[in-house]
Amino acid sequence: MGERTEQAITLSLPSSMQHVYLLTAVVTEILKETNFDEDTQERINLAAIEAGTNAIRNGNRENPGEQITFQLIFTENELTVNTLEESEALKHKETETAQVIMLSLPSSMQHVYLLDVVVTEILKETDFTEETQEQINLAAIEAGTNAIKHGNKEDPRKRATIQFILDEDKLTIVTEDEGDGFTRQEVADPLDPENLLKSSGRGLFLMEACMDSVTYEANGTIIKMVKYKVELEAQ
Amino acid sequence: MQVNVRHKGSITILDIEGKIIGAEALALKAIIDQQIQTVSNEAEQDEKLNLILNLERVQMMDSSGLGVLVAAYTTIRRNDGRVVLLNLGGNIRSLIVMAKLMTIFDCYNTEAEAIGHFL
Repeated sequence: MGERTEQAITLSLPSSMQHVYLLTAVVTEILKETNFDEDTQERINLAAIEAGTNAIRNGNRENPGEQITFQLIFTENELTVNTLEESEALKHKETETAQVIMLSLPSSMQHVYLLDVVVTEILKETDFTEETQEQINLAAIEAGTNAIKHGNKEDPRKRATIQFILDEDKLTIVTEDEGDGFTRQEVADPLDPENLLKSSGRGLFLMEACMDSVTYEANGTIIKMVKYKVELEAQ
Repeated sequence: MQVNVRHKGSITILDIEGKIIGAEALALKAIIDQQIQTVSNEAEQDEKLNLILNLERVQMMDSSGLGVLVAAYTTIRRNDGRVVLLNLGGNIRSLIVMAKLMTIFDCYNTEAEAIGHFL
């Protein structure tokens, strides 16, 4: 086909040293997809951490209110780490104190594990119980898979974007795709006996079962999921 | 995710380790399909696949993974074979319960019991 296998992953973080570990986690995973030997992978990872640290310390001067965006472009034998000056519009952020972590992926099912790595790392820093962390992790993967597979039809030119918005009282996950959208009410109920033996169609159900609220915006191309830190009292 | 394929008599056991999510679910499906194909190629006898999926070391599974289990169940049953699940961890069990699939799958806690299912 003559197509380049170049992939670009974008990771946007609050500009604070506290979040450099997320860059490390993503770079480590990306390097596993390359042909670099283990020693070289380690050296590249160290260089990426240095680049990240440098950008945060010298560029934005450790201001968690500012975002810092890393663009990781890689092929089988090349990795480029760019620091982007412009920040993505953080349109879903509701409060000044909220911290936003954004991951933008080409739409390939191969990249779902990167989303898993990022959400696992983010959740480790929260005080959600282990069981709740597992639920949130599953919901995030389902939402990402939904964007990549059903929204963008696994077209690598289309991006799936996942934002994690950490507030004091809740975690909000917003996924966006570039697809045509869908109507929630038209998606079949996977618990209906006639659908039990279908091999797909459980993603939205699991997201709704695992999170406190799931809302569908922009014709379903934006899905907003919220988990509160304190269980909501039954009305 | 890593999958080790073992055979005990006429029973095939897949020891699965890691997370069955995203592309890994598709990889597991390919391995199961290969086992189905291998058995159906052994045409001289009326072979059918008796499959044990050992999920003891599976840390996590998503809807794609669940879909692979359901597809394995329907395809293998259609060919008169059987599939059982072994060693479900707490979160995998809750997922299967949540999706109302406990009534479909036979689940066992020991390999001896799972093998006993086919005898």
